[in-house]
Amino acid sequence: MGFILLALPVITVILFMLFRGRRLLHGLSIASSTILLIVSVFLTKSVILYDTVEYSAFWGFYYVDALSIIVLDIVIVLGFIVSIYSIGYLNEELKHGKIDTARLRLYYILMYSFMFTMVLALTVKNMGIMWIAIEATTLASAFLVGFYNNKQSLEAAWKYIIICSVGIAFALLGIIFLHLSSLNVLQDSQLLDWTALFDHATLLESSILRLAFMFILIGFGTKAGLSPMHTWLPGAHSQAPAPISALLSGVLLNSAMYGIIRTVAIVNKNLGSSIFTGRLLIALGLLSVALAAIVILTQKEYKTLLAYSSIEHMGIIAFAIGIFTPGSIFAALFHMINHSFTKSMLFLCSGSIMQKYHSGKISKIKGVLKILPVTGTAFMLGLFAIAGTPPFSVFASKFNIILSAFENDTPILGVLLVTLLSIVFMGIVLNLFRMFYGDRGTQDLKPGEFNIPGTAAIVLLLLVISISGIYIPNELGDLIIKAQTIILGG
Amino acid sequence: MANYLDALSVLILFSSFILVANKRVKSYIRTFRIQSILIAFATGIMGIQSLQTEGHIDILVVCLIMIVLKVIYIPNLLNKAYDKVQYKVEKDFFFNIPLHVFVCCILVVFSFFSLSTIKDINAGTVNMQVVNMVSVVLIGLYFMITRKKAIGQIVGFLVIENGLFVTAIFATHGMPFIVDLGIFIDILTAVLIMGIMVFKINEEFDSIDINKLKNLRG
Amino acid sequence: MSTFVYILVQILVIILLAPLVNGVIQKVKALTQKRKGAPLLQMYFDLRKLFHKSAVVSEVSSWIFKATPYIVFSTAVTAALFVPVSTMITPAAFPGDAIMLIYLLALGRFFMVLAGLDTASTFGGMGSSREAMISSLMEPSIIVSVITIGLISKSTSVYQMMTTAQFAGLPLAHPVYLVVFLAFLVIIVTESSRIPVDDPATHLELTMVHEAMILEYSGRHLALMELSAVIKQLVFITFVVNIFMPHDQLIGMVGIGAIMLSLLIYVLKVIVISVLIAVIEISTVKFRLLSVPNLAALSFILSFLGFLNYLVLWR
Repeated sequence: MGFILLALPVITVILFMLFRGRRLLHGLSIASSTILLIVSVFLTKSVILYDTVEYSAFWGFYYVDALSIIVLDIVIVLGFIVSIYSIGYLNEELKHGKIDTARLRLYYILMYSFMFTMVLALTVKNMGIMWIAIEATTLASAFLVGFYNNKQSLEAAWKYIIICSVGIAFALLGIIFLHLSSLNVLQDSQLLDWTALFDHATLLESSILRLAFMFILIGFGTKAGLSPMHTWLPGAHSQAPAPISALLSGVLLNSAMYGIIRTVAIVNKNLGSSIFTGRLLIALGLLSVALAAIVILTQKEYKTLLAYSSIEHMGIIAFAIGIFTPGSIFAALFHMINHSFTKSMLFLCSGSIMQKYHSGKISKIKGVLKILPVTGTAFMLGLFAIAGTPPFSVFASKFNIILSAFENDTPILGVLLVTLLSIVFMGIVLNLFRMFYGDRGTQDLKPGEFNIPGTAAIVLLLLVISISGIYIPNELGDLIIKAQTIILGG
Repeated sequence: MANYLDALSVLILFSSFILVANKRVKSYIRTFRIQSILIAFATGIMGIQSLQTEGHIDILVVCLIMIVLKVIYIPNLLNKAYDKVQYKVEKDFFFNIPLHVFVCCILVVFSFFSLSTIKDINAGTVNMQVVNMVSVVLIGLYFMITRKKAIGQIVGFLVIENGLFVTAIFATHGMPFIVDLGIFIDILTAVLIMGIMVFKINEEFDSIDINKLKNLRG
Repeated sequence: MSTFVYILVQILVIILLAPLVNGVIQKVKALTQKRKGAPLLQMYFDLRKLFHKSAVVSEVSSWIFKATPYIVFSTAVTAALFVPVSTMITPAAFPGDAIMLIYLLALGRFFMVLAGLDTASTFGGMGSSREAMISSLMEPSIIVSVITIGLISKSTSVYQMMTTAQFAGLPLAHPVYLVVFLAFLVIIVTESSRIPVDDPATHLELTMVHEAMILEYSGRHLALMELSAVIKQLVFITFVVNIFMPHDQLIGMVGIGAIMLSLLIYVLKVIVISVLIAVIEISTVKFRLLSVPNLAALSFILSFLGFLNYLVLWR
């Protein structure tokens, strides 16, 4: 049953290549993402009941445990929401003549290929295939980033593919070293299996493993947007079409972070202490937050600002993984979920704003609350959320992370983090709140929502992030605790 | 036999130095082809060895794929791409060649010192081969950073992947077969996509000078 | 007594064989161009002709001009003493003679540079400055190559290097030897002033280096300078041949027969390397002067890689 998750996007892509009509394409997309959603619900139920789901077909590569299912669920749910939003978004683009039906078809083909590669990365236990899938996500999304084919998109796409490919190549070097460290310990059939590596972690060669970890951190960290390898991120996330930016920010960064977390689990079990990995992760995390803080203060385009905010949040997650206490890992996983939902909602709102105002600069956008009432309100609340205001969910996870920094006898780090986060808050508020009031230059814009399904999707996300700040359903909490146990070493 | 592999590993490292010392794009592609031939040769020797001792043919198959892809197909692709793109960039790199070669020399020394602190890669042969191959990766990265033409960056990426592949072959006698296969498919797709992007960049910007791609800074 | 005989044999072989190398090279070049070319022994005839002619000396030159041919010749011949043509003939070998060899030749080159400047002709000055630049760029490569080979054989005496190489199987299959051999190919090409570094058959201002320095010489002075140049070339070739292709004995043979056989094998090896040099000359063009540093850098990298790999393999 789990194979449907892999097979369905492939079938969908093939079907997309066969059909032409606009309505048909939209319908196919919705149908496909709905089925994926239903399947993933069943899969989650299985994982809750049985702890892991493994099949022995295809050399036994298929493997889903609590950690995978959390990230996988985010992928599928956001895929569903983005496909709803895309209908309205693409119709509007068609109306304004920016794209034609052929490009619409290309959009869907690429989007579902992208979904396939991400699902593949999350459902295998062989680290080599995980690497291949993560590289494939770069390749699948390269043309999506450059979708509009103008100078800036092409520049962003070129930087994206070059920087991410080089970064991923370094991750491959890390995986080769991982392989090298396990040569004397594992038999042929178990090479590069995460479960086998994890079980025998203490027998692996430590110094090679350290080298492997550094390379994998740099490599997957490039994909995850950690400084100083983040330079592709602002360009790519701001130039891509808004629903794709939502996917990139909300899903792709998580998948890369997932790769890092898997490796951290092995290395920490081998070294017996988390100081080595912790130092590196905390350093990179704080660097990312600091860099994001500085740039957000002076950013002039709203989508780029949201992209830097993604860098900041990935830095926070890396920081939390670096601290490596049960509380911080729980908070990190919870933060992944919260950040994905909040950031996607923000990107979807910004997509609607971009389509209404036809400009990406903050200074050109005024009076959003009047022109796009529902989207504008969601956007404003979302900005509060992403900056860490209660009662939204991001506040809960951020607070827990800061708390665990203080609990861990490293108060300086906590203080540093709090200072940087306040600078980010300041930056977001200063820069973005100008967009909401006033009405200069907006006389010829028709007020009113134009993307009804998309707005519904946005409201849905808003509800989710408001509620999950106060209440987590028991099953979700148990699932996160299971994932935390897996990372910590059983 | 092991001696021949050592000698080949040094020659592969030397070919990456020749790459850095070149000035013209066609020479980059030709040097990449020579390097791929050397690597295919080394892989072939290892494949025959493993066939004799263990009876696996994976490494030989991988060697064959490598020949088809990196010796024949990708250099032809790049040559055709370069022929269609009109270049207006005169000087492709920032300093003069001996300085570049010297910096690459420092990279080799650096990788030598870093890898020799790892006590576990102990057998002298493996150690030297791994040092040589990691140096190839670092030189590929350096090459990529210092080129102004987009095709130079693609060749740099391919050299990095070459270095990784040969590190895997020398240090661990090849990755699991399916992983190798997947890596090749990935590289092929990546080069195809990069090639298409070079066309599009040339159309939009009228040149393939990377320095012109600076609208998105900040 | 036998030492004296050995020294005599060594010097005679090298001096007599040196012009033949030039003959072989230009014959190979001619054959590939579908010409018959000058006879193999042409250079002997040239030298004999030059020795009969009188030397014309410029009035504005100093003693350096007249002394240089003799200095250059004597340094070349002395250097020839240190590279044994056969491992059974042990001429004057002592620790450090490899370094001595290089710097003897450098002494000769120094005086050639001065002599080029001495006649106050523009060609000479130009040749001297170019020669100084090229040789100083190539020097690190030579030193590192020689030191690497010396480290492998744990001595700096050329004779020791040769005997160590003899017991190493086929040296060229060994990575360190292979790489240093490639570096030495570049060095030979430079030191004998061949394409791609310098064209030995040109008198165009744009392309001469060595020729420019000896442009003012005539008669016996010119004969000595030309002879020294080919001796220097043969010294380097002998170095390469006897270290990288050192097998020259049949096991068990001793006495005069063995020595004759090893000398014969030596001549054959020299011819092989001469053909290799000719092939290099045919297949490349002369580099722009400002591209010679690139070649020097590559040669240095080769020798440095040999050194690094030696460090890894023998530690």
